[in-house]
Amino acid sequence: MSIIQQHTESSLTDAWRTINIDALDPDSSQNFPLSTLHPPQPEFSDQDARNLQSQIRQLLQAGDAEGALRSALENPIYNAPDLAKETHLQTVIEVLQRIKVNEMTPLLQKIYNDDRGSESLDVLMKYLFKGMAATPSGISSQHTGNSPRTPTKLMTPQATGFSQIGGRPGITSGDSTGAAMSVLLSWHEKVVEVAGLGCIGRVMTDFRRV
Amino acid sequence: MSAPEVHHLFHNPIADHSFSADRQTLAIARDTTVELYGRVGNSFKLKDELKGHDKTVTSIDIAPNSGRIVTCSQDRNALVWEPTPQGYKPTLVLLRINRAATFVRWSPNETKFAVGSGDRLIAICYFEEENDWWVSKHLKKPIRSTITTVAWHPNSVLLAAGSTDAHARVLSSFIKGVDARPEPTAWGERLPFNTICGEYLNNSAGWIHSVAFSPSGDALAFASHDSSITVVYPSAPEQPPKAAVTINTQLLPFMSLIWNGEAEIIAAGYDCEAFRFKGGINGWQLSGMVEAKSRPGLGDAREESALNMFKQMDLKGKVKDDTQLKTVHQNTVTMLRPYETSGDAVTKFSSSGVDGRLVIWNV
Repeated sequence: MSIIQQHTESSLTDAWRTINIDALDPDSSQNFPLSTLHPPQPEFSDQDARNLQSQIRQLLQAGDAEGALRSALENPIYNAPDLAKETHLQTVIEVLQRIKVNEMTPLLQKIYNDDRGSESLDVLMKYLFKGMAATPSGISSQHTGNSPRTPTKLMTPQATGFSQIGGRPGITSGDSTGAAMSVLLSWHEKVVEVAGLGCIGRVMTDFRRV
Repeated sequence: MSAPEVHHLFHNPIADHSFSADRQTLAIARDTTVELYGRVGNSFKLKDELKGHDKTVTSIDIAPNSGRIVTCSQDRNALVWEPTPQGYKPTLVLLRINRAATFVRWSPNETKFAVGSGDRLIAICYFEEENDWWVSKHLKKPIRSTITTVAWHPNSVLLAAGSTDAHARVLSSFIKGVDARPEPTAWGERLPFNTICGEYLNNSAGWIHSVAFSPSGDALAFASHDSSITVVYPSAPEQPPKAAVTINTQLLPFMSLIWNGEAEIIAAGYDCEAFRFKGGINGWQLSGMVEAKSRPGLGDAREESALNMFKQMDLKGKVKDDTQLKTVHQNTVTMLRPYETSGDAVTKFSSSGVDGRLVIWNV
């Protein structure tokens, strides 16, 4: 037997690397809640999100798309149950789908030049990414259970069961997903044009998740 | 404005650079060694290598008066290199940290230096005569994550630190027997060791990449990973600041910033060039870039022959060779330092980056 083969099972494995030494350190970030690092965000309930949704819908019906977008972006829902966050995402997407392509850039520029405009566009970007990340499976799993591959209506609000967008009856759900995605993509392009790459960076670094 | 002085030293990232007071010696942190370059005419020639660290050297600083060099590294050590007639003699510093040392700076009076580390603390190091040794005291309390950067107040007692927990903090590093009692400032009056004089977080709370006190020490600027710069004006000890101005930019994040007087900040980072910010307590704004965009030479399209054009199309599938950025730096700028000053104003500053270039700019 050659000397080289003196490895034992334990010396060959790298299991020792998986020891989480941070857990042994009382000061480590594992042992204190990271949320204490940030100021608390105002709390929202499902009801608040629905109220906001109906307010914004009223604005939309009155034809005030700009006002609807502004009030949707000025009230981002950070600290709330998932359902409320989901409802607000639907609200934002409803507003976005109501705005025509050639109105996007002027509107974004107008918002960006406001006092806290850069912040509003950061919020918009967060919802765009959330909308893109919300895969059909992710949303449908709440309702249809174990059918992750089923392409369901992406943009249908579950909370109200009523929607003016997306899944109109008679249209196959796959199409509406694609249509919603193309709306998000064209908004994404326009937001980057106005708010720059810094906007994407801010969304990624921000601790406040929508 | 004359053209910047560009030195392409090598094809490795420059972690940090520092000039001696006479600007004849340039110290560069390259991988695990520290390279000393001497100025020969218009260029810099390698004249010495300081080997003492066995992992990446993360930061370097030359004390302007004593000429001592302090370096720190991921091997968890800091070394003080004393200039002697036989060359530089290293002394190990007792840091007592068990994570990488990330950043080191001499205090303005050169009696102390601060080492930031991944161990969620800052080691304030000073020389103990009776033991003939550099020892350290730890600033530990509110820090929750790796320290990425530190900066000294002109009084050599207050220290600003930026961390990956997204906070920029102002702390007291007062050490009895080393420091004289400082004059009271807006940051604080009584300043025992580890007094927290300020803790700041901007809205979206990105990692802090760089902090800097204004020349007077009465304002603090920090750059964070959310592409923003925040300037804080303290009002009085224990009071909320008079103003905290955040400028969100459309650019990529800034890695380093310096003050030019009280009303201008120069910052550079992932956009590979330096930008100017102008303002004051009532507001700040991005006012432009330092680099003139239409510089001759680099990036200039040469007259292409038809043969060359088809050759390029055949070889690369495109006509233009657009592999070069339009900026002088070809990769992220990681460090800015004042190079020449007159009073509080910076007349020249130097920048180094991941592309191995060191550039001296006219402001």
